[in-house]
Amino acid sequence: MSHKPPVWASGVCAGIHAIGSRDVVYVPDNPLSYVLRVFESEYREVRLILATREEEAFGIAAGLYLGGRRPTVMCQSSGIGNSLNAITSLLVPYEIPLLMVVSWRGDDAGEWNAAQRPMGQAVRAIFDAIGVAHATIPSPDAALDTVRRVGETAFRTNTLGACLLPRAMTTVTAS
Amino acid sequence: MTRYDATRLIVDLAGDAAIVASLGHPAYDLFAAGDRPRNFYTWGSMGVATSIGLGLALARPSARVIVLDGDGSLLMNLGSLATIGLLQPANLAVVVMDNEEYATTGGQPTPTAHGADLAAAARAMRIASAVTVRTEEELRAAMAGVARRLRAEGASASLAVARPDLERAEAGDFQPSVTAGPVVIVAKVDESSPIAKPPIDYVAMKERFMAALGTPHSALRNPQ
Repeated sequence: MSHKPPVWASGVCAGIHAIGSRDVVYVPDNPLSYVLRVFESEYREVRLILATREEEAFGIAAGLYLGGRRPTVMCQSSGIGNSLNAITSLLVPYEIPLLMVVSWRGDDAGEWNAAQRPMGQAVRAIFDAIGVAHATIPSPDAALDTVRRVGETAFRTNTLGACLLPRAMTTVTAS
Repeated sequence: MTRYDATRLIVDLAGDAAIVASLGHPAYDLFAAGDRPRNFYTWGSMGVATSIGLGLALARPSARVIVLDGDGSLLMNLGSLATIGLLQPANLAVVVMDNEEYATTGGQPTPTAHGADLAAAARAMRIASAVTVRTEEELRAAMAGVARRLRAEGASASLAVARPDLERAEAGDFQPSVTAGPVVIVAKVDESSPIAKPPIDYVAMKERFMAALGTPHSALRNPQ
């Protein structure tokens, strides 16, 4: 087994770190496991906080922000569906900013699970509808800059920003 | 003990603690019992108040955090008890105002009206100091356990905890012992009609809260 992490995973961690985020609240996902491993091995000062459900993760992140932190939430795109009430009735009206890193399933890159398709197809339109800025990381080399740009904008403007990790990129190293 | 009675008692004993209130009647009663800059009133996101309190407790380990949740709200997010049990934040106390109904929406009974035991659920999720209180004296004793611990160990130390002793409580001899770790107090309360509501000025309330905690949001825009 190789110990060298995928370029995109290292870039995501570097981007999160670069914006001063030291608290990552997450619900596990297969590609995100690479990100978690990079944090554990290279960024010990970043606190990883496991939540039982994505909506809970957004609540914990809101509390972290109120306490003076710059939180990141990581989850699978399906979990955005679990989180819409917290996003729209807490984070948006109170202008509580955070960065989301979303492992994107159900796009057109060979999804095999029909249960992932509806939310995967809708997640960007849902973000547009509720006012969450989003960017799809186009390539492994662009991960750091994309995450940093989206996160920095979110915290400077008290808004929400999401980075989508397409399976076409992450399945090179995870399935 | 009405929910308003219980809320007033908690505010009286809260000192400089931050208080996060669940939407609807718990938030209304907190405002009426004592508006203060360290109160955070939610107006939505049912079920998430305890998670907000957890995040705040993790962000500010030297601050004391009290959550005023409801039975219906906590039932929406029971997993939050598992996360608290996992992380064991010693500066977090969750008070569940258990009136056994969805009072804000017209009084429909919740499962706690039929025996669902939220303190037992908390203990099962490794929150050792979870207790059910039924009178103001018991609530005061549970909160006093927290305060004693703080005085003994200083402001940055663990919040104290009232370890449950339900048999003795039922026998009228409620003397909760004190240990470290997060606290869950399930307060069995009678419904009372709220007499005031906090302002619907979300951003101003948030900024007031953050400033009172010494973390103005402006400082977060450009850290370092």
